Amino acid sequence: MTETVKVDSDHPSPKNIRQIDATTLGITWTDGHESVYSVKMLREKCPCANCIDEWTGEKKIKPGMIPDSIRPKGLKSVGLYAIQIFWSDGHDTGLYPHELLRKLCQCEACKKAQLQG
Amino acid sequence: MSDQALQEKVIEALKTVKDPDLHKDIVSLGFVKNMKVDKGNVSFDVELTTPACPVKEQLKTECQTKTQAIEGVSRVHVNMTAVVRSSQHDQPILTGVKNIIAVASGKGGVGKSTVSANLAIALKLSGASVGLMDGDIYGPSIPQMLGIPITSPKVGEENKFYPHEKYGMKVVSAAFLTKQGQPLMLRGPMLGGIIQQFLQNVEWGDLDYLVIDLPPGTGDVQLTLTQKAPLSGAIVVTTPQEVSLIDADKGVKMFQQVKVPLLGIVENMSYFICDGCDKKHYIFRSGGGKTLAENFNIPFLGEIPIIPEVAEGGDSGVPIIMSHPESPASLAYKQLAGKVAAQLSIHQAKEDKAGAAFEMAWKE
Repeated sequence: MTETVKVDSDHPSPKNIRQIDATTLGITWTDGHESVYSVKMLREKCPCANCIDEWTGEKKIKPGMIPDSIRPKGLKSVGLYAIQIFWSDGHDTGLYPHELLRKLCQCEACKKAQLQG
Repeated sequence: MSDQALQEKVIEALKTVKDPDLHKDIVSLGFVKNMKVDKGNVSFDVELTTPACPVKEQLKTECQTKTQAIEGVSRVHVNMTAVVRSSQHDQPILTGVKNIIAVASGKGGVGKSTVSANLAIALKLSGASVGLMDGDIYGPSIPQMLGIPITSPKVGEENKFYPHEKYGMKVVSAAFLTKQGQPLMLRGPMLGGIIQQFLQNVEWGDLDYLVIDLPPGTGDVQLTLTQKAPLSGAIVVTTPQEVSLIDADKGVKMFQQVKVPLLGIVENMSYFICDGCDKKHYIFRSGGGKTLAENFNIPFLGEIPIIPEVAEGGDSGVPIIMSHPESPASLAYKQLAGKVAAQLSIHQAKEDKAGAAFEMAWKE
């Protein structure tokens, strides 16, 4: 019988998720990559239907709308593919798929790649 | 030679016996247990990860031959056992269930429920403890297929209720929650609620395998299950026709997006065997399911023939695997069960798995 494809090699999953400091989230991935995120950026990029209009794709969150004081209250895994974040402003409908989190990574290497890309 | 020295030789020999699915020898995998050596008489257990193991007999023969070949061994007794490994999850639901298998399709009418019912029974017949959840809330057909009369489920404490039992399996279906023949009319959000009840409020007890027969498509029920149930893997059922394959393709992509491991693709109604000869007549097209599996680089789990007894079995409440255990379709289902169980064992043996379910509070 053929071995199943290692889905993880194309689609890494978080191995460890932790708080680095008051405003930074860290994720270690199954492929070894170390990601860091500013929590304010994560709130601004919330992918839920309230924050990005489902029909038009219009972003409802404008620059400057999210205060610097924003913090997660808690985080929770959803199924095998996403993370839900409960925010200090009461918002909690955003499910962040692993794929999106990987794209939003703010480590030095990823920031450089994003600038070039 | 001392018993001790002989035992070491036997273990050396067994290190050359490989599990073809897990690609490791059975000693390193920890399958060899309770070895006793007494004046040339050798006995030991080989504990597999599933009683439905498709290569059980082959492994037994290999162990026997290789042990017998050692000088000083007079008699060999190999006892094959199985303890189903648990897919790791620490979600607070279905805690006694070791493996949860979702059976899906893109399109309706491909025989998902028939496949689910026969797959569940095949796993049961191998010696595993099995549950079957009818996830098709609008069109529940599992009770009919298994010949279970529509009665309300037995209610336990704290809103819990007990599954019906048939053929030694535990069965839950939305059909038991309505009066016979009455449609269950619900809007989308209610569907998720019912599925959640099936997961949280049913006294499933300890199960090796829970098979979930999903409704067709990629909608509410599928999403609720992928978000709330710790699925161990999914199989996608298709028929050979292009219209079915196109939707099966979407089904596979859905599971990929939500990262549920794909155990493989089954092609149902693949060929017809008439009563005059044993020739396989591919009356629709052939090879579609296999090609689909190859495109996604996932296992092809087999072809199930279309024979009248399969449909009769579904209508009479005695699935073909019970009524005609030696028919080509029944044999195909038994093979399917073996392959599904083997795929689950392969996924559990993977070392580089993602972290388990987690929850954390943010500190100021």
